[in-house]
Amino acid sequence: MTRQPLFVSFASVGCSLIALATVASAAESTPDNKVHFNRDIRPIFSDTCFHCHGFDPKGRKAGLRLDIREDALKKTDNDVYPIVPGKPDESEIIERLFSTDPDDIMPPPKAHKEIPLAQRELIKRWVAEGAQYEPPWAYAPLNKPAVPVISNQYSVKSGSPIVNPIDNFIREKLAEKKIEPSPEAPKAKLLRRLSLDLIGLPPTPEEVAAFLADDSPDAYEKQVDRLLASPRYGERMAVWWLDVARFTDTVGFHGDQNQRIFPYRDYVINAFNSDKPFDQFTIEQLAGDLLPHPTTEQLVATGYNRLNMMTREGGAQPNEYLAKYGAERVRSVAAAWFGSTFGCSECHDHKFDPIKTRDFYELKSFFADVKQWGVYSDYGYTKNAELAGFNNDYPFPPEIQVDSPYRQAEKKQAEAEIDAHLKTTREDLAKNPRLHGQFEQWITDSRAFLEKDNSGWTSPALSAVILGKGDKLEIDRDVLIDAGLAVQLEKPLTKDESLRIATRTGGVHIASVRIELAQNLADEKEIEASLSKSVKVTASVKAANGKMRRLGVYYADATDKFPRFTNGKETLGVVTEWKLPHSKPAKSPSAVWLLDPPVTLAADEKLVLTISGDSPLPLRISTSPFAGRTPLGLDVAALRSALNTNPAALSESQTALLADTWLFSTAADRADFDRYKELASDLRESRNGKAWTMVTQAVEPLLTRVLPRGNWQSEDGPVVLPSTPSFLPGREESTPEHRLTRLDLAKYIVSKKNPITARAVMNRLWQQFFGTGISSTVDDLGSQGDPPSHPELLDWIASEFRDNGWDFKHMIKLFVMSATYRQSSALRPELHEIDPANRLLASQNPRRLEAEFVRDNALFIAGILNTSQIGGPSFYPYQPPGYYDALQFPNREYVASTGPEQWRRGVYIHWQRTFLHPMLANFDAPARDECAALRVVSNTPQQALTLLNDPTFVEAARLLAGRLLKDANAPTDDARIDRAFQITVARAPKEKERASLEKFLATQRDYYREHVDDAGKLLKIGYAPPTQGDPAEAAAWTTVCRVILNSQEVITRY
Amino acid sequence: MKSFDPIEHALSVNRRTFLSQSAYGLGGLALAMLQNKVFGVPTTSHRPDGWHGALQEANFPIKAKRVIFLCMAGGPSQFETFDWKPELKKLDGQPFPESFTKGQQLAQLQNAVLKARGSITNFQRHGKAGIEISDLFPNIAAVADELCVVRSMQTEQINHDTAHAFMNTGSIIKGRPSMGSWLLYGLGAETQELPGFIVLMSQGRTGLQPVSARQWSSGVLPSRFQGIQFQTKGDAVHYIGNPDGVCQSTQRQVIEEIERMNGLLDDEQHDPEIATRIAQYELAFKMQTSVPELTDFKNEPKEMLDLYGVKKPGDGSFASNCLLARRLAERGVRMIQLYHRAWDHHGNLENGMKWGAEDVDQATAALIKDLKQRGMLDDTLILWGGEFGRTPMGQGSGRDHHILGFSVFMAGGGVKAGTTYGATDELGYRAVENPVSVHDLHATMLALMGIDHKRLSTKFQGLDVRLTGIAGDIVKPLMA
Repeated sequence: MTRQPLFVSFASVGCSLIALATVASAAESTPDNKVHFNRDIRPIFSDTCFHCHGFDPKGRKAGLRLDIREDALKKTDNDVYPIVPGKPDESEIIERLFSTDPDDIMPPPKAHKEIPLAQRELIKRWVAEGAQYEPPWAYAPLNKPAVPVISNQYSVKSGSPIVNPIDNFIREKLAEKKIEPSPEAPKAKLLRRLSLDLIGLPPTPEEVAAFLADDSPDAYEKQVDRLLASPRYGERMAVWWLDVARFTDTVGFHGDQNQRIFPYRDYVINAFNSDKPFDQFTIEQLAGDLLPHPTTEQLVATGYNRLNMMTREGGAQPNEYLAKYGAERVRSVAAAWFGSTFGCSECHDHKFDPIKTRDFYELKSFFADVKQWGVYSDYGYTKNAELAGFNNDYPFPPEIQVDSPYRQAEKKQAEAEIDAHLKTTREDLAKNPRLHGQFEQWITDSRAFLEKDNSGWTSPALSAVILGKGDKLEIDRDVLIDAGLAVQLEKPLTKDESLRIATRTGGVHIASVRIELAQNLADEKEIEASLSKSVKVTASVKAANGKMRRLGVYYADATDKFPRFTNGKETLGVVTEWKLPHSKPAKSPSAVWLLDPPVTLAADEKLVLTISGDSPLPLRISTSPFAGRTPLGLDVAALRSALNTNPAALSESQTALLADTWLFSTAADRADFDRYKELASDLRESRNGKAWTMVTQAVEPLLTRVLPRGNWQSEDGPVVLPSTPSFLPGREESTPEHRLTRLDLAKYIVSKKNPITARAVMNRLWQQFFGTGISSTVDDLGSQGDPPSHPELLDWIASEFRDNGWDFKHMIKLFVMSATYRQSSALRPELHEIDPANRLLASQNPRRLEAEFVRDNALFIAGILNTSQIGGPSFYPYQPPGYYDALQFPNREYVASTGPEQWRRGVYIHWQRTFLHPMLANFDAPARDECAALRVVSNTPQQALTLLNDPTFVEAARLLAGRLLKDANAPTDDARIDRAFQITVARAPKEKERASLEKFLATQRDYYREHVDDAGKLLKIGYAPPTQGDPAEAAAWTTVCRVILNSQEVITRY
Repeated sequence: MKSFDPIEHALSVNRRTFLSQSAYGLGGLALAMLQNKVFGVPTTSHRPDGWHGALQEANFPIKAKRVIFLCMAGGPSQFETFDWKPELKKLDGQPFPESFTKGQQLAQLQNAVLKARGSITNFQRHGKAGIEISDLFPNIAAVADELCVVRSMQTEQINHDTAHAFMNTGSIIKGRPSMGSWLLYGLGAETQELPGFIVLMSQGRTGLQPVSARQWSSGVLPSRFQGIQFQTKGDAVHYIGNPDGVCQSTQRQVIEEIERMNGLLDDEQHDPEIATRIAQYELAFKMQTSVPELTDFKNEPKEMLDLYGVKKPGDGSFASNCLLARRLAERGVRMIQLYHRAWDHHGNLENGMKWGAEDVDQATAALIKDLKQRGMLDDTLILWGGEFGRTPMGQGSGRDHHILGFSVFMAGGGVKAGTTYGATDELGYRAVENPVSVHDLHATMLALMGIDHKRLSTKFQGLDVRLTGIAGDIVKPLMA
């Protein structure tokens, strides 16, 4: 269900429901019984009058402005007084509002904005009472209101006792309406609520039992502190901020390519976990790069400014897209920090709020120094030298490389596994006489080889030909092989040609093949021509009968290379292609290919290398019987020294070097060799513990002009400089001598001068814990937004936040400690007429879990949620096949993550802007194309289908069943159902629930006993190992668990 | 429209209904009322099993009840479809007059030497009105009397992604609901057994460009109004198939048991979301039953498959999708959008257009004929066209993107059949006679559906958001 957008669909029919529901009645019941402009009148004016009589001079009719009191009191062009304070009968607007003449009545019939009688009477009363104006509440200076004193009945006797000032404000209003607050929710339910709210996961039955057993007065507070200290807290809160920051893994426009940014998400999670003050959090994201000596963390934070959508579409105009990026940034920054809608002021002054077009472009110009390209490519029509060589697979600079704790953990683990594996291999070698015999022989052969070829490499005599398309035709073109065995071409190969080089003799053992590009044999022109070119190599063995056998390569790497990418991910090594660097290397570059497995050529066999690519440089080929841990990691000197040492005198490391090199070079123990290859691949995938991330890099600011009607091609508008919004107090302006920066903006935002940020952020945070914002339109605190239900409370929490170190944990603790938060969430039918939307908070509001937490909750219940690490790259949950078929540039193939990664938390799900994962989309997660401050909450058949049939949830159900069946403390059906309820909803089942589920279980048991095949299929869904035990029993319980996981209670925080 | 107070209405009409509303906020209340038929006599929905939209009553006479948008994604050339320019052909290969192009926005032709490129095909006059249609489209030409060809379309966006967004949502700002979402929101649905807004995707041999799911997003409207894409691989609708090892009767039992559990919860919690949830599980099960029936073509006779040119039913081809579109229309789906990705011919225009036409010509004409013979063409509005057109200037062996003049056609649904509207200049560069903006097109389509585009709005961030923004005029001459 939506909170905000929908009721207003009726606004087109005449009035705002909010106005009807709370405003009209509020005026009649406040203690002073007076009409208040902000609460009662502004919403009506804003919806019906300001369009023609408001801020925008272009749309203004009859020269009349109703938003400013002195204008509204002035005689108009028609010689009448719109408002005469205290005298409604002399006020023109009252006459017009109540007129029955279609020519006179306001608003005019063609506006379709009829004002109901009750509201017209209210306006009349307001004029009669003196027509007092108030500044727009959201922009008014922020001062901490006094905490109301509450009568004894409402502070102690009613519901539960008041805990903190939040309760005073809430109960003051309840007392006015003579509504009793609700009692505190039962303890177990309360812990489930708290746990889901603070860490996004339910409590375990053990946690619930401990809490129930703790009857100390601070038992609840201990739970609050425990959960706030949990690393899971940051993962939960990050989701809230990542919506606002529009964090995604892809760029959004056109090909929607991947961007490298996950360290920014780590930053956000860590910021919440370490309770980074919000002022610092703000400054680092908007302007971390402008701080003196910024830390890496502060630079990572500036990824925020890079999260706008980007394009690489051929034919896109750089300036048009720069205008789009700039405009989006204004909308998103304004929404995130000002809770305001700047969008319309791109083209015209805001109709309903005092936001001017100039404000829009002044805010935009703060970011004019952010380095970016309108089109992230180097197309013929728009040359970008810095992006030379980029294609659709390349990332989106500027980026920096940073340590990733997640990857460092992976690296450490892979290294430890490799060490352990090689140690075992050595021990096996020592124990196995057959292998040891081979090893001894290898030592002898290797010594002999090194005596002959001191470098460890040998350069065989060669023959070479050029082949045409399809490897068939021999091209009649000379290939020169010089005395130094360098292969030289007259001109580079065309794309249909390949160079085939064969050794003249066999009888050698080959573990590594090396190609050196003999820069020293080329002239400067050739070297220049080789830059950015590529070399591709395949290796084969040619038998005496002419038959070719392709050799495997398990890894290859080069001394110098230009990085290659697959959809934004760097392709490690040069196995399939060696792309040469863009600038001349200091010495001849070379690359080494490791054979899989190493090969011993018979005397009549030849090694054949087929080389393609467009490098013009001469090649030198050499082979080695040795292979190192990595292609470039062979230390021949150390090897020689070890080989020449008396076995008895070998150091431990020398012994290891010999045994390991033997394994890598011969693969004599094939299983051990293969295992090493896998582990080496894991190690490489840890990317040396590092990750790239997009950051803000400041450059000379682009000129920023007001674009008339948003037209990016126009150069007619005035040039503007950065200035803070004109409608907020304490405006700061650039001068021609002193240009304000992003850092100035960030500091202004978190200064005491600015009243709106604390209000906007606290209002959004409130919604997380109470279901609705104090102003329900958390994305618009402007005059068209919902006036706050408790304006003093909002100001109190906003002041508390701002004046006490911008401390989220402090505020959240205040929220959740309050008696208001702890109330029962059962709906109170008797209050429907007085407070239909529960804005007065006489009870808690239930809250359906957000998409990520619907999934986390199910996986946690199933016992498979992977919380071993914080942060790291995004992962890929199961996804229906073909979902990315309409994505191109590059084409996308979706591969679900395997291993424990599959069950990571939802905050880490790969976020594809153009095709958001269907489970996320179905549960209302935003695509995050722009700042998403408000998630709509809907209730649809697609949600039912997801919970019923998405393999993620079916797998969770069968794993939960497995958990129950394995539980020694739950040996009976009864006990298992009991346990299932404790795990999923922190309570025992009611008798009716138990009876119903037992009957259901019996039916399913009968079915699956007769259909064991079906049981087998059901128990295999997902990547987790099949559920063990009697298949019929496990399938029947899986079906019971599907029912439980689909129930409303499981996906709702009550 | 008379002013309406939903709360007052709900309280006075049906207290029980009110009690089943959301506690989560007024928005929920209003939406729940939409879902649960609180409103009195429906005037915009036509079937008993549908649900009602936000509109209380139609603003205009209802001509069309549903839309089938055949989106030729990539932007087909008007010069090889519906805009015959003999002068351009004469100028073929010559420099393109600078007087036309100076200061205008180009895409990939930025900074290039501009040369005229005449049509690669010939045109004949067809139908009673003698509408000029390219020889590449003989089947569409044969139904010329049903067509209302607009030759003076203009758009504001020159790149695919943003141009699609503009064509679907009237804006390039993210979060704007697409046309289908607006129709569902305003008019409600005629069926609950299928989504009310369905998207089908096919592709040609060349000229492919990506199309984002954003194009059928409900944006700021709740996700219940979003388009649902039917997949050609796996389940037609995500998660519509039962898990392996779960038969339909087990699934039914599971759903009933879920509903029982939810009912027991409601006894304690009195949460109106629970009742809604129960209803959604019922709908989900109905969809699980109706989607397989829908996508099973076996009761379509061979003549029908031949009419559309369907080689293998359900193969994801445009022809198969057209037949599916007719089946969806029969079942009360409000908006059916077919994307055929095949038309971005920066190069090899000759083959590209020929192949594209082979893909869509027969099936498009078949859809029109088939709807007509079933008496459904009158209330089904068909729109055929791309997100923009192509330049009269050549780009290598192709044409670049173009926004100042291009062609679309409509059929059925109350449009003036057998007509053309608007014209481009003699070289086809710019719409000079009766230009039609995307907002105008939207306003006209909404009008045919009985909706005044200025009065269907939703509030977002405090503002009234409309499909047509603050612009758009109904093009009356397009209406019968």
